[in-house]
This record gives sequence, structure tokens and C-alpha cells, in this order.
Amino acid sequence: MENADNNLILSVKGVSKSFPGVKALDSVSIDCRRGSVHGVVGENGAGKSTLMKILSGVYTKDSGTVVFDGNVIEQTTPIQSLKRGLSIIYQEFNLVNTLTVGENIFLGRFSEMKGMRNIHKKARELLDSIGSAISTHRVVGELSAAEKQMVEITKALSFNSKLIIMDEPSSSLTADELKRLFAIIGDLRKKGVTIIYISHKLDEIFELCDIVTIIRDGKVIDTKPIGDLTRGEMIAKMVGREIENEFPPRPHCAGDTLMEVKTIRTRKLKDISFELKKGEILGLVGLVGAGRTEIIRAIYGADKAKELRILINGRLADTKKPRKAMVEGIGLVPEDRKLEGLVLPFSVQANIAMASLPRISRFGFINRSKEKDISDRQIKNLAVKTPSPHTKVVNLSGGNQQKCIMGRWFEINPDILILDEPTRGIDVGTKYEIYLLIKEIAERGGSVIMISSELPEVLAMSNRVLTICEGRITGEFNPESDSVYDIMNAAIG
Amino acid sequence: MTKQLHLRRTQITGFVMEYLVFVTILVLVIVTAIVQPNFSTAQNFTNLMRQFGPLSFVALGMTFIIIGGFIDLSVPGIISLVAIITLSLVDTIGEVGAMLVGLALGAVMGCLNGVILVVSGASTQAKALFITFGMSQLYGAAALLYTSGTSMNRTFINHPMPVTSALGQGMVGFLSLSFVVFLCFLFVLYIFQSRTALGRSINYTGGNIVAAELSGIPTKRIMVLIYAICGFMAAVSAIVLFSRVTVTTPTVGANFERDAIMAVVVGGTSLLGGKGSVLRTMMGVSLVVLMSNCMNLLGVQTHLQEVLRGLILVTAIWLDHRRHR
Repeated sequence: MENADNNLILSVKGVSKSFPGVKALDSVSIDCRRGSVHGVVGENGAGKSTLMKILSGVYTKDSGTVVFDGNVIEQTTPIQSLKRGLSIIYQEFNLVNTLTVGENIFLGRFSEMKGMRNIHKKARELLDSIGSAISTHRVVGELSAAEKQMVEITKALSFNSKLIIMDEPSSSLTADELKRLFAIIGDLRKKGVTIIYISHKLDEIFELCDIVTIIRDGKVIDTKPIGDLTRGEMIAKMVGREIENEFPPRPHCAGDTLMEVKTIRTRKLKDISFELKKGEILGLVGLVGAGRTEIIRAIYGADKAKELRILINGRLADTKKPRKAMVEGIGLVPEDRKLEGLVLPFSVQANIAMASLPRISRFGFINRSKEKDISDRQIKNLAVKTPSPHTKVVNLSGGNQQKCIMGRWFEINPDILILDEPTRGIDVGTKYEIYLLIKEIAERGGSVIMISSELPEVLAMSNRVLTICEGRITGEFNPESDSVYDIMNAAIG
Repeated sequence: MTKQLHLRRTQITGFVMEYLVFVTILVLVIVTAIVQPNFSTAQNFTNLMRQFGPLSFVALGMTFIIIGGFIDLSVPGIISLVAIITLSLVDTIGEVGAMLVGLALGAVMGCLNGVILVVSGASTQAKALFITFGMSQLYGAAALLYTSGTSMNRTFINHPMPVTSALGQGMVGFLSLSFVVFLCFLFVLYIFQSRTALGRSINYTGGNIVAAELSGIPTKRIMVLIYAICGFMAAVSAIVLFSRVTVTTPTVGANFERDAIMAVVVGGTSLLGGKGSVLRTMMGVSLVVLMSNCMNLLGVQTHLQEVLRGLILVTAIWLDHRRHR
């Protein structure tokens, strides 16, 4: 094949990867030139992380070829990749907080390094080479985020890495620290090290990268030198997909104001206020970590807020605990259905009836036939595909698991249903069914707050969209008339 | 064909796993009865029922803790303190009064455990393990302080103790009174567990405490409730315990947490939380009691008995993880 092309450090050809129900990568091809800074951009869930995890060996690809440094890589593990010269620095650092800087850099290689003195000596040299003055004897737990990143980079260099992948490296850095990072990346480039730089922040991509690859829905949309792209074109390629009949027509049922969020303040959120109308679908748009989930968790009483003032029908509502929020007519379908939504080893029936215990009991005793009625009704209503109501919910597909949680709330029929990533990891067909269910709630006069990292989904379903960035609401849009570009811009901040 | 065969095999393994306690009990009884004729006498049967006594009550309480996804090591402290305080009060407020105080005290100590767990934000078994271990030290030390380390002899108590004597010696037909009391508790707790919304809430809490909280189940109150139940049942154990002996020491509750956890887990209630039943615990207690009875009759040395007990606990936990993985 083209192994001979010595200019390429990495050549990925036609790599695909599927998870149950989802095609995460669809025949992805990327070439990285030696000594370049290669940007990779895309929405949340576009497949960037999956691709990087295949390269480092955390996941195994289903098909396609990867050529790294002239060698075809069939199967690999993270440690093998490291030794070949491919490092990856994740958003959450991979360091042991209780060990020193030097120990972290050479973790697992103490015997090769022949003693602690050598480790600290070598670590010192490496840190000096990137112009960092951190003492190798400091304990990593005491370091700032920026310093930890230096340690990660040094660790990558200690393996003589030829390719370093940085996943959202700037998320925890201040402006000054970011400049330092850029300077270091510039130095590395001069030394011939290739960097793959993954970021949501387009400014950084434009400032730093030589070439950029845009990924969307598991496919490479385009790879271009940075000079040939404008910011507008890049956003268009990131979000612009043909919206076919992927979504049902949105309902228009918004009526009078139902809920007024006067103020929410937490450590992360700054003076959030907005309102929600009866029969309205309100979308919250923002990057992962922008504070979307924090907002709805505070409203539902799942997290404590420093200050929380919510009016429902003009009356001050007490939603300090989920139980109280339920009494006020709020329901929540949480972000992580396995960890926060379902009791996996329990039956479909038990999971559906979970929030209805007070309704199906008299004098504290459960009426079992009512319990069965509830689950039968919702299984039928939502077309949950399960062999029986007594099947353990863990054995259902993701989409059907999600339907169980939706059914739990449909039974209660709250005035306001909050959906956090309702279609994450669900196949296309079931997604459509879930959209229809959301539409049904609005048509019955219920209000919906919807969070989704899939921009087209929120935009197609919502009557109104709020953009959230770094704990603040940065804009309010009408997804029917306002441009996707403007919305994305407000969300990126 | 092979698939069917495989299915059959997994069904059989599943069946054996499910009824392992039954099978073990049966094997144990048959073997001992053959080898040691003393086993199948009326005398030994009464003996067995008596041995059922203290452990069975606290094991019922522990069942709720473990279904709720937690663990309670404070049982020895509670038993010791309740036994000592109840006995010391008999002369001043009478036997029944003292018992009521003892039971209330057990429930209060259990509540305190639960409240401390809630306040400290503990939501895992591991944290509960350490906190209740500490509480056991505290309650146990209180018992020692209360008596200045000395034992209490029932024969020195002037007030008559008819209830205690009945509980220790009395028979209802061919069943011992303490066993009848146990059956009553079993019935009530079984109904509570399987039919009431509160009982079900304990299962949800143990199955996934986060999901339960987000579905409006008052998980914190549930935590306090299960610890209160366990504390109360430990107090019942304490009373049954001193009804059978004349001398009660301030460390009388030692090792009860181990045997109770063993009975619950051997019975087949999952340490992972969410699943289990007091009926299973009754089977577990039967196995634990039978085992020591059989080993005694077969003349197995005490220390070896301890080794076997430890082995059985570890095996039961291992099987539990295999079954519920």
C-alpha cells in the first residue's frame, strides 16, 4: 500500500466502528503529515473520541487500516501505542495525584529507569526541554490544571512520542496558560512532533492548526488547510446536515407562562433565569460541561443550589428535593439512564412503576394489580419491545430502556417533563418514536425542557432554544427563523 | 442441539444456584443423621430451636440493611448495651418496662446510625462499613463503662422475671417459645417487605439509590428506617440472648454481626443490594445453626469450625457475585 509515503506519520483509511445500535465511525480516513498540528473538530458525539480511542488502542476497529510511522497497526493496546510513539492526553488527566511529578512521568517504568535518582534527573531534562520549571519532587495533587498538563506532555515526550493527541486540552486553562501551551506546541512542531488537536473552540483551531478535519455523524466531512476555510464554513460543515424526515413536524402548542425560573445560582451557574410556557418544548443548547445539566438538576432538586427561586403558575414552588419537585408537577428523565434512571437488575414492570408507588398503594400496602395495569398500559402505549413485563430491564436495548423511563413519567403525567439527552446511544428508528412521544406530551398541554448534544435534534424539536455557555444563558433563539450559525456561535461563546 | 443442551445445563446450574441452601441443608441433615444417631432425637430438635434464638432476630433485621444496599457492623455493640441496660433496669422499673426500654433503645441506636450515615453523606456499603464499625466500638464501650466492665448475674436480680424465663425455657406444643416469637416476626416482616410501599422502597434504594432518589423515593428516610429496624431486631436478640443464660457480660454481642451477615448472604440475599427476602434469611439462619449443631455432634474441633464458617461465608459471597453479575 502507501506505506512508503514517508511524509505521513499517520494514515487512517476507511476505519469503521459500531456500538450496539449506533455506527460511531463510518469509513473514516485521515492523513497526518509529520510535524503538523492537525485540528479535529465536530459536535459532541460526532465520533472524535471514538476515533482517538481506536488509535490509542482503547477500542478495536471493526474494519479499515491504520498506518502509523510506516507500520500497519492491526491490533494495539494503549501501552503498545505509547511505546510506538503515539500518546494521548485526555481531558481528564491520567495522573496519580499522590505521587510526585517525576514518578508520574515514569510510572510503570521504574525498573527500566534504574532508580529514583535517574527518574528525577531524566524528568528534569524533559521538563526543561519544554521550558517548565515544575519541581520533579512535587506531588501531582498540588499542581494546577496547567501544570498537570505540562506533566502529561512531558510524560508523552518521555516515550519519544512522534504523535501526541490532545483531547480538549484548553478546557481547564486560563488565557495565559493557554498561551504557554500554544508556545510549547509550536516548539514540539519544530522538533518534528505531530499534534492532533481536538477542540470545540474554533478560535484555538484557527490560531494553532495547519490543517483541520471536520467530523460529523461518524464521517469525515472535509479535511482542508486552515487557510482555505472561514469560520462560517467550518461551523456549517460541523452542523449542516440535510435534515430529511428525521424529525416529526414540531408541535405549536405554546400557551401561557407556566414556570418562571427567577434565579438559580450554584457554584457553576450564574443567575440563570428564563420562563417556560404551557405546551412548549424548550431546548437547552450548549457544549458538554456548559452547565445545561446543572440547570435542570437544580430545578428538579437533584443538586443543591445556593439560590433557587422558581414560580409555577405564579406561585413560589418548593423544588428542593426531587420528591418535592414531583409534587410541583416536574419530572426528570436523567442524562445517564443506566446510572441515574434505571434499576438495571429489576424487571421492566418494577422500573415503570417506580415513581408511582404512592398512587398504587393504600394504607401503605401495594395494590399489585394496579402495578401490573400501570406497566401493561405503558408497555403498550410506548411500544416497549420486551418479552414480558418481568424481563430484567438490563436485557433490553438502549431505546427500550429509555422508553421504560419515559413510561414511568407518562404514567405520572407531570406538567413539566425535563429530558436530558433523551436519545443518546439510541438507534435511528427508536429515536423517531421518542420524538413522537415528546411531541405527544406537548400536544396534551405538557411542557418539555429538552437537552441534547445533537444540535439538529434540539433545533428540529424545540419551539424555543436557549444557548448556555460557561454557566450563563447567552442567547434565546427561535429555531425556525434564526440561523444555526448564530445559535452555534452563541453556544460556543 | 448443542444450544438446547447448553440451555438445559444453564437451567440446571441456575436451579442448583437458586436452591443451594436447601440442597446444602438437606445433605448436612442426612449425613449427620446417618453418622450420628443423637442428631434425630427430640432433645436435639429442641436444642436446635433454642440455638435459632438470638441470631435469627438480628439476621432478619440485617436483611433489610443488606437489601437496602448497606451493611451494619454496629450489631455487637447494640446487643451488648441493650442486654446490660435492660437487665440493670429490671429491679427499678420491672421486667416488661425494662424490656420496652431496651427495645426502644435498640431502635434509637439504629436510628442514630442511619442519621449519621445520612448526615455524613455516606451512600455506599464501604462507608457504612466503617461508620457502623465505629459505632459498634462506641456502643460496646458504653456498655463496659456502664457496668465498669463487670458481668451481670440474673440470679442477683430480686424482681421476678417470668417473661424472661418463659422466653428462655417455655414451650408452645413442641416448639420453643422463642421460635414461635421468631415466626411471628418473620410473618410480619415478610408482609412488610413484600406487600408495602415502604418495603418496596427499600428494594429500589438498594437497587439504585440515585435512580430511587430521582424517582421521588425518600432514600434518606429509608436509610434511617432500615438501620432503626436492624437496631430494634438487635435489641430483640439481646433480650432472647439473656433469657437463655444466667450471666450476661458487657461484650455478649460479639461476633453477632458476622453470623448475621453470613446467614443473610448464605440465604441468598445479594450483597449488591436490591434483592433478597427474609424467608431466604430464615434458610440462611437454619444453615448456620444446623452447621454448628452438626459439627458439634460430629465432634469437629472448635477452631476448625471457625475455619469452615469463614470458608462458607467467602463461598457464599463468591456465589452471590457470580449469580448477580
